[in-house]
Amino acid sequence: MSRVRIAIRDLSKTFHQGPREICAVSGVTFDVHDREFVAVVGPSGCGKSTILNMIGSLVAPTSGEILVDGSRVGARSAPQIGYVFQKDTIFPWRTVERNIALGLEYRGVGRAEVGARVKEAVKLAGLEGFEEVFPATLSGGMRQRVALMRSLVVNPEILLMDEPFGALDTHTKLNLHAELLGLWGSRRQTVVFVTHDLSEAITLADRIVVMTRRPGRIKLVYDVKLPRPRDVIALRESSEYLREYGEIWHALGEEFQERLS
Amino acid sequence: MKGGNWSVWAWRLGILIAFLAAWEYLTGIKAVSKTPGLYWIDPFFISRPSAIAHRFAYLMSDEVRLPLWRMALSTVQSTLWGFMVGITSGFVTGLLLGRSDQVARVFDPFIVAFNSLPRIALVPLVTMVFGFGLLAKIVLAWSIVFFIVFFNTFQGARSVDADLIHSARFLGAGERQILRTVIVPSTLAWTFASLTPSISFALIGVVVGEFIGGESGGGLGYLIIQSLGTLNAADMMVALFVLGAIGIVMALGIRQIEVRLLRWRPEYQKR
Repeated sequence: MSRVRIAIRDLSKTFHQGPREICAVSGVTFDVHDREFVAVVGPSGCGKSTILNMIGSLVAPTSGEILVDGSRVGARSAPQIGYVFQKDTIFPWRTVERNIALGLEYRGVGRAEVGARVKEAVKLAGLEGFEEVFPATLSGGMRQRVALMRSLVVNPEILLMDEPFGALDTHTKLNLHAELLGLWGSRRQTVVFVTHDLSEAITLADRIVVMTRRPGRIKLVYDVKLPRPRDVIALRESSEYLREYGEIWHALGEEFQERLS
Repeated sequence: MKGGNWSVWAWRLGILIAFLAAWEYLTGIKAVSKTPGLYWIDPFFISRPSAIAHRFAYLMSDEVRLPLWRMALSTVQSTLWGFMVGITSGFVTGLLLGRSDQVARVFDPFIVAFNSLPRIALVPLVTMVFGFGLLAKIVLAWSIVFFIVFFNTFQGARSVDADLIHSARFLGAGERQILRTVIVPSTLAWTFASLTPSISFALIGVVVGEFIGGESGGGLGYLIIQSLGTLNAADMMVALFVLGAIGIVMALGIRQIEVRLLRWRPEYQKR
């Protein structure tokens, strides 16, 4: 396998809520390799988003460490990391076009090049005709498309995605899965994708890290053997998909059941 | 929609005409016929539309030493200055205090104390310090506008979405870029929402200043106080009508600016 880009070593995180201590993540260790698409799946509250936030320097670990390209993650996130939030974080006072241009503007890219790259991104995301529209008039799916393109336009080598399609309806979600796979297929970023939706994880990922409920530990790491390129619709009817779904669901199901009992 | 607009405007005009006609008619009925000065509704106190129109024409003419349009201009001028200075200083202060917890905590009691002081109580002091001219009126308007804008901006600066700041950082923004592209625009949305009340309050500050300011400050407030001194209801009504007109024009203008600046907000996206 290719080189390790993100190394997570014995990572733990305890939150303090008044007098109570909540252990969100406990002793998590795994590697993410170059150009690999890893999904982290688990019941809600299992600390999967916390892991992503720690990789992105939004939250400091209580113990353990994270290495991105060999150097320890500190107070500032590594420049090669892009992040797509669960919540809609496109700027409402900027048009679609100017939202996508943000990262390029921050990096001091020249006006002409910004224009060209934004135009290309708009085309890739199928947002033509909406360049000068403010986000308030866009649907949830289109807003998330803008957010995705805004992150991708600066060519991050590592992309952290925190349930980016969590708030969307199934139809829109499937469309965005297809688009994401297409975009990823041409650039092959290293992706860590957090979700509670198992079918989403199987559709997209090379490997799935299944978490236990709180305190979040790794229950199992599953290699998805489905061939690429994948057809997000046809895939769901294939017997391989159903078999893989069944295997992981069994492991995940135990986590849900323990909570009920 | 267009037909609806038509009937609304027709109704408005009708009500206005009916009101003026009733005013003119009722103040003309004498209680005892042919006895001068005994009216059911005495025009001495509330004047009559015809008398007001007459005085308006006279006050606008060059026959008076201080024509009406110059008084109106003086009022508008001081209002706009107080408004602009108030907005600028209120925004900057609100942003600075809103983004620094420590500074905000230190200044909090002073701000609350000063804001709970009725601004009208400051009028004599401001007059003592800044004299009877334009400057005193501007200071009064500023002292009201500043706090309205300040509190709005302060709220806005404190409620900037942390996730927007994070996402800017992931896109490679430095601290100054975050200030320019996230904090300032997000805060400005709150500031803009305080523009319409600010212009009305600026006008209040100026008129109160003119009550005390005397002739050197000029303005419509001066005309009102002068009319009180001479018990001239018609002149007072002229001043009130002109003030009302100024207030409406200013509020509409600010509203236009607000709609333009906040056009990205869902509530301004009707069309």
